[in-house]
Amino acid sequence: MYWSELAWLIPIFPLIAFVVIGFLGNKLFKKAEGGGYVAIAMAAVSCFISLMVAYEILSGGYPGELFKQSLLWINVPGQDLSFTFNVGIYIDTLTALMLIVVSFISTLVVIYSVGYMHEEGEKKRRYYAIISLFIGVMLGLVLASNYLQMFIFWELVGLCSYLLIGFWYTKPSAASAAKKAFLVTRVGDIMFMLGLFIFFVGFGGNLDYEHIFNYNFEDFVGGNSMLTLGTFFIFGGAVGKSAQFPLHDWLPDAMEGPTTVSALIHAATMVKAGVYLVARSYPVMVETPDTMLIVAIVGGITALMAATMALNNPNIKRVLAYSTISQLGYMFLALGTGGYFFALTQEANAGYTSGMFHLMNHAFFKALLFLSAGAVIHAVHTEDMRLMGGLSKKLKITSLVMLIGCISIAGIPPLSGFWSKDEILASVWETGAENPIFYLLYIMGILTAFMTAFYMFRLWFMTFKGEPRDHHAYDHAHEAPKVMWVPLAILAVLAFGSGFALFMGFGEAIVPNIEHWHAHSEDVAGILTTIFSEWQTYLSIIAAALGIYLAYLMYMKKSINPDVFVATPGRKRVYDFLLARYGFTAGYDWIGLKVVYGLSLVVDWFDRKVIDGIVNGFATITVRLGNVLRKGQTGFVQTYAGVVLAGVSLIVILLFLLGGLI
Amino acid sequence: MIAIEYFLGLSAILFAIGAMGVLVKKNAIVVLMCIELMLNAANINFVAFSAYYGDLTGQVFALVSIAIAAAEVAVGLAIIMNLYKTRDTIGLDEISLLRW
Amino acid sequence: MLENVPILSLLLIVPFIGAMVTLLLGTSPKASKYLALAFSGITLALSVLLLFNFSLSSTEAFQFRENYVWIQQLGISYNLAVDGISLPMVFLSALLVFLSILFSWDVEERTRTYMGLMLILEVGVLGVFMALDYFLFYVFWEVVLIPMYFLIAIWGGPSRAYASIKFFIYTHIASLVMLLGIFALYFTASPLLGSPSFGMESIASVAGSFGHDLALIVFSALLFGFIVKMPMVPFHTWLPDAHVQAPTAGSVLLAGLLLKMGSYGVIRVCITTFNDLSHEATIMVALAVIGVVSIIYGAFACLAQTDLKKMVAYSSISHMGIVLLGIATMTELGLAAAVFQMFSHGLITAVLFMTCGMFQHKAGTREIPLLGGLAPKMPIVATIMMIGFMASLGLPGLVGFIAEFSVFTATYNIFDLWVLIPVMSVAITAAYYIWAMQRTIFGDLTTKIDTKHIHDSYWFETMPLAVLIGLIALFGIFPSLLMDIILPSVAPLAAVI
Repeated sequence: MYWSELAWLIPIFPLIAFVVIGFLGNKLFKKAEGGGYVAIAMAAVSCFISLMVAYEILSGGYPGELFKQSLLWINVPGQDLSFTFNVGIYIDTLTALMLIVVSFISTLVVIYSVGYMHEEGEKKRRYYAIISLFIGVMLGLVLASNYLQMFIFWELVGLCSYLLIGFWYTKPSAASAAKKAFLVTRVGDIMFMLGLFIFFVGFGGNLDYEHIFNYNFEDFVGGNSMLTLGTFFIFGGAVGKSAQFPLHDWLPDAMEGPTTVSALIHAATMVKAGVYLVARSYPVMVETPDTMLIVAIVGGITALMAATMALNNPNIKRVLAYSTISQLGYMFLALGTGGYFFALTQEANAGYTSGMFHLMNHAFFKALLFLSAGAVIHAVHTEDMRLMGGLSKKLKITSLVMLIGCISIAGIPPLSGFWSKDEILASVWETGAENPIFYLLYIMGILTAFMTAFYMFRLWFMTFKGEPRDHHAYDHAHEAPKVMWVPLAILAVLAFGSGFALFMGFGEAIVPNIEHWHAHSEDVAGILTTIFSEWQTYLSIIAAALGIYLAYLMYMKKSINPDVFVATPGRKRVYDFLLARYGFTAGYDWIGLKVVYGLSLVVDWFDRKVIDGIVNGFATITVRLGNVLRKGQTGFVQTYAGVVLAGVSLIVILLFLLGGLI
Repeated sequence: MIAIEYFLGLSAILFAIGAMGVLVKKNAIVVLMCIELMLNAANINFVAFSAYYGDLTGQVFALVSIAIAAAEVAVGLAIIMNLYKTRDTIGLDEISLLRW
Repeated sequence: MLENVPILSLLLIVPFIGAMVTLLLGTSPKASKYLALAFSGITLALSVLLLFNFSLSSTEAFQFRENYVWIQQLGISYNLAVDGISLPMVFLSALLVFLSILFSWDVEERTRTYMGLMLILEVGVLGVFMALDYFLFYVFWEVVLIPMYFLIAIWGGPSRAYASIKFFIYTHIASLVMLLGIFALYFTASPLLGSPSFGMESIASVAGSFGHDLALIVFSALLFGFIVKMPMVPFHTWLPDAHVQAPTAGSVLLAGLLLKMGSYGVIRVCITTFNDLSHEATIMVALAVIGVVSIIYGAFACLAQTDLKKMVAYSSISHMGIVLLGIATMTELGLAAAVFQMFSHGLITAVLFMTCGMFQHKAGTREIPLLGGLAPKMPIVATIMMIGFMASLGLPGLVGFIAEFSVFTATYNIFDLWVLIPVMSVAITAAYYIWAMQRTIFGDLTTKIDTKHIHDSYWFETMPLAVLIGLIALFGIFPSLLMDIILPSVAPLAAVI
């Protein structure tokens, strides 16, 4: 009896919570936090099973290191191509890693919600129901044994995020943000679907990972160009879900949801799904270096671009949102780099491992940051950092744990963010030898590291240090209740220490399912020497330190006045351009309102005037013709009789003339 | 024996007079009377041919036709009576309800 | 156990007797409602019985056959049977009529006639789906038209006269073209068969030797008759008008069943009879183009609508386009998915139109700009609306996804990357639904209408919707329940001989 055999229960428990709270909650949970405790219990149970399964797989406890189960869902036999749709479970080390991250952080977030959502009253039931569903489908996505099943859960994750971002749906901005999130990710989903069609047909009507990863890629229908297109479209799905350039703009708006939801979406669920998808598809993706290059470039651009947008934003949650986009960019950069390198040289570099490593570390520190921000918002009831300040005196625990999060994301050793970010940048540099564009990406990565450190500490200094800028808010501020800060403390420990997983064999455990992929295995000392013997490591540390120092000068010591950046019209324009998110928001609106809606108005006009006009035209012509012809009906019987007589006479005469009668 | 042409001639003249009357007269009663003329023209033909061929069928038809004509006159006069009651006229010019 | 029971005839007789009884004895609205509900309930029970007795392992193409000579001289027979294509439709018809009658519980105006017409409509629709004789088929086809005309003309909205006449004449003209096609089939096939016959199967057996040009003309005539009914762009404009004016139950049956008659006809008549022709690339492309144009055009038209019901009406055009696209692929997957989509669209569209009906009832208007923020006022209606919209935009786990995804997969398989065009509709569909929700149930409570008396749904509205949503989820999670029925029947059509 292995724990892995119970893996199918993992998504079931949160789904049970969803059904119980969602459909029976009205009667059962009037008092009990709207079913919050049920949600916690179910999330905890599935977390426990997840951890056990993950331990079993990662420690090699399950024979063969892979657990597979699958049932036939639909089978469509065909003459030349049969289609098989399965449902099942596929657990390898990647799945195990995701299971840990998703289930653990979700559980903490739900616990934290009990404090954060306490005052929501009746709405809590809806909140806990949907969040349970969210956790359930995300776990289902991670466990899926084939692309179609993954896509199904992928869409359901989208639905849950739609419902949660629009949780306060009576607020027009929330409803609008929810719509944007759904539609923009839907564009990505279309690409995902196209990728699936290409895979479906190309791989002979079966989308099981097992089937695809062991497929002889020479036999792919349509050849390598079609395979490249397929992987490109699959990556397109990830771009939508993980908010990468150019489909990134929904994520900042998604801050309209409760902060707990933001934490869940950013740290554990939704946006990580895209990274997971690319990592999962690695055995296929490494066959197509072009796609891998695109992945890396998109990741690099996104990382830099999102970081610049975070530089001057006054909203605490928005800054964190941009930082998420930026960090996700790092992950894609890492994955793209690793895959590209492997595709060209058939040798593994650290790209894949460091990408997944960063995913894990990011999950912990970003959950920590978001939940801390939630505690701040909970305390001062505003998200505007310009109205905060000096809060470290009131929120001692929160400020401390948030500081840990900030140091970690900034990449200062020995906190977790440093290890993964450094590895990513190192592997990008290494790949530069194959394609010089990676040197450019490396520079972008370093710049991003600098900016990340700057804006995170800007956030921290503005929130917790200096003089209180809004005394009313300051006076009412209070430390979060225990149910909120205990999860924060746990996350702080992990955000501090999760990087040490590197010394516990992370690099050997988390490798893609590619036969000739050989991970470098080194002992602790070896890893440390490799890292600290290269100049790139020091460069990234210096970049981060400079960023922190600049933030310190500007927002703590105030020796540089932040207003210098808006002093001249030119600078102001740049400043506003960043605030306007490079005009992407306006661009999306333009596409939506002017292009798509405009086209629909044209279609509607065409429909009413032209097509229906022709239909009604036929009717009108018929009626008009009748109007003309009926004038012949005078109503005088004598006229009719005369016509009859004339007709008969005519016939008789004609018969005479033509000689028929006689 | 009188030649059949005379009967046919009489019948044709009667029919023409009747038809003319139906077409031009404005008074509904006169029109009705003209219709009677046309019917009787046909009756004369029936009887004439009956005698000519020595076949009684024609006379039977004439009798049926007379009976039906009587019924028709009854209906026709009733319609005219009702018309007069409702519209105070039996002038055909003024009765064009079946117009467009 | 059903060997000697003429269950298909019973499916026609029960609602017919029901209609007569309701019209005669339904002296009070209450009596007629209960009578109609009882008789449609029996019909539904019979159809469920049929469903469970349908053999998946049968080697016969058609099951439960009842074949009697009717007019021997003309080769007309009373020939009823079901296969995997018609069975889901029969069940759907019985279900939707039953639920529509329940949903119309508050019809107080001329209830007796209303309920009687619903049952007559049921007879017609079931007849169309079960008939295997062109004469019978055409008779039932026309029978459907009349009650629907009256449902719109009597219980419809303000411009019901226009809409009902348009509906009647437009679809009737299409029927006549189809009738010409049927005559052509009859007069061409009879000499080949040696005896006159209106039988669908016997005509199909000789249609291969028709001569290409004649076959093409007859195929086109029949196709025209069917795609007007589906309806496909550009022959669709009767549909939005009819829907907007029709009473809710009328719309449910119109979209849920009458449109399916069109697509059913395409499968049962066009591509079955002219199987060789249908496998020709030009025909496949032509069908695909019509389908894709309808998908995209319908989706864009939806986005511009301000009337909720009109939007749903256009979405029907878009979704029926998916059916035609599935048929156009002429593969097992595509055809099975087309039939699946017919079934799923029937369920989903019923939910959507019932939702629109509830908005009409509760808020007094369906104009989207006048609505807003209604979710707190009527949470159940809002939830149902959301589920319905999500199902319709193809959310996985609900029934619409399977069909849509399979059709697109089959499309890629046959038409390569042209699938890009219809797949775009996925985003547009999401856009109009999500946008409509944002403007009707989310945001600030509207001040443009009196919202004081808006209340949540009644039991007789919630019940049918709950059943429908249950089925939507059931077949979404276990699609093979339906797929296994459909597949054996479509496989011979996809086969290239």
